[in-house]
Amino acid sequence: MLGQELVDFIESPVMILFATRDEAGRPMIGRGSGVCVDRQSGHLHFLASRSQWPDAVSEALPGRPIATTYVRATDYKACQIKGRIVAAGAADEAHRARGEAYVAEQLARMIALGVTRMQLSSTLSDQELVCLTIEPQAIFEQTPGPGAGRRLTPEAAA
Amino acid sequence: MIPLESLRDSFEGVIPSIIATTDADGMPNISYLSHVHYVDEAHVALSDQFFSKTATNVARNGLATVMVVDGYSGQQHVLDLAFERSETEGETFERMAIHLAILESRMSGIMKLRAVDIYRVEDCRAVPAANPLVAPEPLFLPDLMGKVARLTARMSDCGDPETLLDATLEGLGELFGYRHSMVLVPDGERGGLTTIASRGYDQFGFGAEVPAGRGIIGLAAERRRNVRITDLSRGRRYIEAVRAMAGVEDATPIPLPALDKPLSQIALPLVARGRLVGVLFSESTERFTFRHRDEEALIVIAAHLGTALSFLSEERERGEANGREKADAPADPAGSVPAGRRIAVRFYPRDGSLFVDDDYLIRGVPGRLLLHFLEDYARTGKRDFLNREIRRDRRLQLPDFKDNLETRLILLRRRLEEKAGPITLERADRGRLRLTLAGRPEIEVVEE
Repeated sequence: MLGQELVDFIESPVMILFATRDEAGRPMIGRGSGVCVDRQSGHLHFLASRSQWPDAVSEALPGRPIATTYVRATDYKACQIKGRIVAAGAADEAHRARGEAYVAEQLARMIALGVTRMQLSSTLSDQELVCLTIEPQAIFEQTPGPGAGRRLTPEAAA
Repeated sequence: MIPLESLRDSFEGVIPSIIATTDADGMPNISYLSHVHYVDEAHVALSDQFFSKTATNVARNGLATVMVVDGYSGQQHVLDLAFERSETEGETFERMAIHLAILESRMSGIMKLRAVDIYRVEDCRAVPAANPLVAPEPLFLPDLMGKVARLTARMSDCGDPETLLDATLEGLGELFGYRHSMVLVPDGERGGLTTIASRGYDQFGFGAEVPAGRGIIGLAAERRRNVRITDLSRGRRYIEAVRAMAGVEDATPIPLPALDKPLSQIALPLVARGRLVGVLFSESTERFTFRHRDEEALIVIAAHLGTALSFLSEERERGEANGREKADAPADPAGSVPAGRRIAVRFYPRDGSLFVDDDYLIRGVPGRLLLHFLEDYARTGKRDFLNREIRRDRRLQLPDFKDNLETRLILLRRRLEEKAGPITLERADRGRLRLTLAGRPEIEVVEE
């Protein structure tokens, strides 16, 4: 479902947000700690810190819907991928390594931009990473402007 | 619930907020939101210009969750919101419209505030740093009330508008650490503003102009609202856009005194009896120089300055009317005009602009005032001029407002002093100005 350019985009060092929701429909917000796309199945392996985002992660249950948003800080280019959680569990070693590399790179980039370590303390974490396997169902343009919210076809998603 | 009042730095828009909603199928939607605005202890306001899915979801179930981030500490808070109403006018709408107007050029004009949505805050929770990178540094904020009291007391001791302006800007630097400040007054003709006093810049910039409604200074004047920017570091494009809007890049004859790379700016309208009498502007190369509490302190100082400026200008008028001044200034005996070098004066009636020896000096009312003095001097040798005489002279097309004459004279005198050219104007005594020339003026009036 995801074109190669879109895959490259979300796997690059973009800022990542996600939202789950509780039984009552109240959304829960969290920040992602990296993502990779399984080229075979097309599923996302989405990483998040359970200790930093306990509410959002606790509602990330198999079968539940999830929204994930990816934003490049330099030009505000952004997209949102919505889907259904297929599996959820502690990240294995390979995914932990990916999450740690993502967090380290983001911290370095932000600090280079003048953001302080204190400001980043609550933002990014590579501790207690969970891996959510997500089946993508819809992709949306999210770059600020009149086109935000437009549903993208797989071809246009790149 | 954590009181919203304690999170004021999270409502500055320094770090983008995040909003999440859910649709009828239970699918969440999440996106960045430039700004969550504080309304009161139980309400916030959102201006959602782009995210139609968010609007659709909120219209369905009235629920939204936002996460706001403290621009200083990075501390995050999650707010559970319930939609209450939309507003298309009023205090909150105006405040948000002015913020959007400043952002607009960066967004290519596609942002226009149609309405603001007011939400009730049902809960506010901290997102603790589970694995902090460093220990948080507590923020020490000094009491500002004592400083406000000291500065306003100094201002009350001032006996004339010029001393008042200087004492205010001096005090802002000395007591508050706001070291780059200026006061601008309405030009009374083009709807813009002109710099009359400044502190902390390489040049004073007396006479520098800001067009009506442009930048944070022009917007503060036009909308009679305070405009405060806490952190301009979110991108060079943003800084350049704001600098352009502040009038810096306009082809004005006198450049506005301005910092090259400001990170914080604030502009407050000076209002007396419901009428705009000026704008107080301050800026800094540091982030967070002007927090919410600094704005509150400056509101008190700006109110005092506006009223005192108006009062002292009028008192000068009353002093003259009570006859405490000398009789009309006599002309010097014919032939007392110095024979020295030629001073080339060129004047354009269209906008009142005046050039001395081919150098632009000033325009508008101050330009016409100086032409008037120079013409009288060339004709009769007269060097002393009384405010009262000036006001009576119909040729000058003076604006109706009383305090305008006084501020124009201050501006003209300071501009001449800054230029350090062959013409100077001194205040001889109360209500009396003395013109001094290092040569013989040759006046050319250029009709276009």
